[in-house]
Amino acid sequence: MLISVDGVSGTAVAAAARVALAGVARSHRGGVSTWDASGLFQDLIVAEEEAGIPSARTLLLLYAADLAFRLRWEIRPALEAGRVVVAAPYVDSAIALGRAAGLQSGWLANLFLFAPRPAESQYVDQPPARSAGSDAGLLEFVIDRMAYMPPALSREQLIDRMQGRLSMLARRAGRARPIGV
Amino acid sequence: MCDDVLPKDPVTKPSTPIHRRTQRQRVRERFADPSRRPGLLVAFEGPDGSGKTTQRKLFKTWLKSEGYDVVTTKWNSSALIKPLIKSRKSIRALSAEEFSLLHAADFRHRVEQHILPALWNGKLVIADRFLFTGLARDVARGLDLDWVLKLYQPLLWPDLVFYFSVSPVTSGRRVGAVRTPNYYEAGQDVTNVNDPVESYHRFITRVISEYESLALIFNFITIDAEQSIGDQHHHIRALFRDGERRPWSQWNMDAITEWLAQREGRP
Repeated sequence: MLISVDGVSGTAVAAAARVALAGVARSHRGGVSTWDASGLFQDLIVAEEEAGIPSARTLLLLYAADLAFRLRWEIRPALEAGRVVVAAPYVDSAIALGRAAGLQSGWLANLFLFAPRPAESQYVDQPPARSAGSDAGLLEFVIDRMAYMPPALSREQLIDRMQGRLSMLARRAGRARPIGV
Repeated sequence: MCDDVLPKDPVTKPSTPIHRRTQRQRVRERFADPSRRPGLLVAFEGPDGSGKTTQRKLFKTWLKSEGYDVVTTKWNSSALIKPLIKSRKSIRALSAEEFSLLHAADFRHRVEQHILPALWNGKLVIADRFLFTGLARDVARGLDLDWVLKLYQPLLWPDLVFYFSVSPVTSGRRVGAVRTPNYYEAGQDVTNVNDPVESYHRFITRVISEYESLALIFNFITIDAEQSIGDQHHHIRALFRDGERRPWSQWNMDAITEWLAQREGRP
């Protein structure tokens, strides 16, 4: 069984993922799959500044590649073994970011077509850290790394939009459990 | 969730309608103004061993002698993404999806950082491989054409696409004369054939088949790459002279408008 945990705050998403897994019988625990298991974003950090700063679209293509890696090596093997795996973050954090940055919903939906639908979705209602540290979440990292903000949009407004998007997704998902960690 | 298409929400628009309309007007003025030399995008496509790089170099030299301001962009060459791909290729760590997504990221970064800025400034951009390379290779790896094509949206269409057509045998012979195809070049990730030469033949046959379909769908200008280098070059010159007078393609409006909006939103 696949449980997704999405939210803006990386720390809160990680904490909620641990709680979700702890609620599963020990014999069925498959683990928590976190972003950048592929190391793509870690490699981005060490890139020279002259290489150029990526746009939201480029970063989301990289996140999708990272998610494909996680599915291949972490999530699908656990599911095939009959275990519960928690993906934190999963697809909805990325969709919220993309929509907040002005990307079209159709493009985002196509991008993540390869990702299976989770059996349960949880959303963390917690603001992000002020600056992205070493334990930053996906969205905190991306906000600080993104080349271009949508015109006339501050960091705070972008975060508000992402949280608004995630709240809407939480309301839509029938079995969603909003969590205030 | 994964195939969920969210409704349009005015809150998440990147700019106001008036702002976007102004940008669209600016794009039209920039590219459709007959009094200024517009930026031109010319793509060279074809399988490995088709001789397109040789032709691209000859073409560039000729264009510069004709007074064009020319820049070149190559496939999988962005300073940001290329190292990420290279290190993962070297350990054969990429699935078909990961391969596809990373090359789309590399392409997008080059479009935003190099290709569109050059076109905006009226330069002639020669692309040694374009998004059609991603389409042909990814579909040959078994991915869905529609999914892959949408990764590259908003689409930027070249003004001209020269497709260098060769048979799988010719491609294999030319590549084999200078090197043994590497793991991904030979498609060994999908053919499961241990011999790289045999795997290359099988894989490039699929790739060429996809290219032939794309050539029809997207109206490529096909160059018989089995002909002599000189004949091909003179043919390309003549075709370029005809093609450069084509009107600017409205299809590129979304891609350029998005880039312009991003550029002006830079903090």
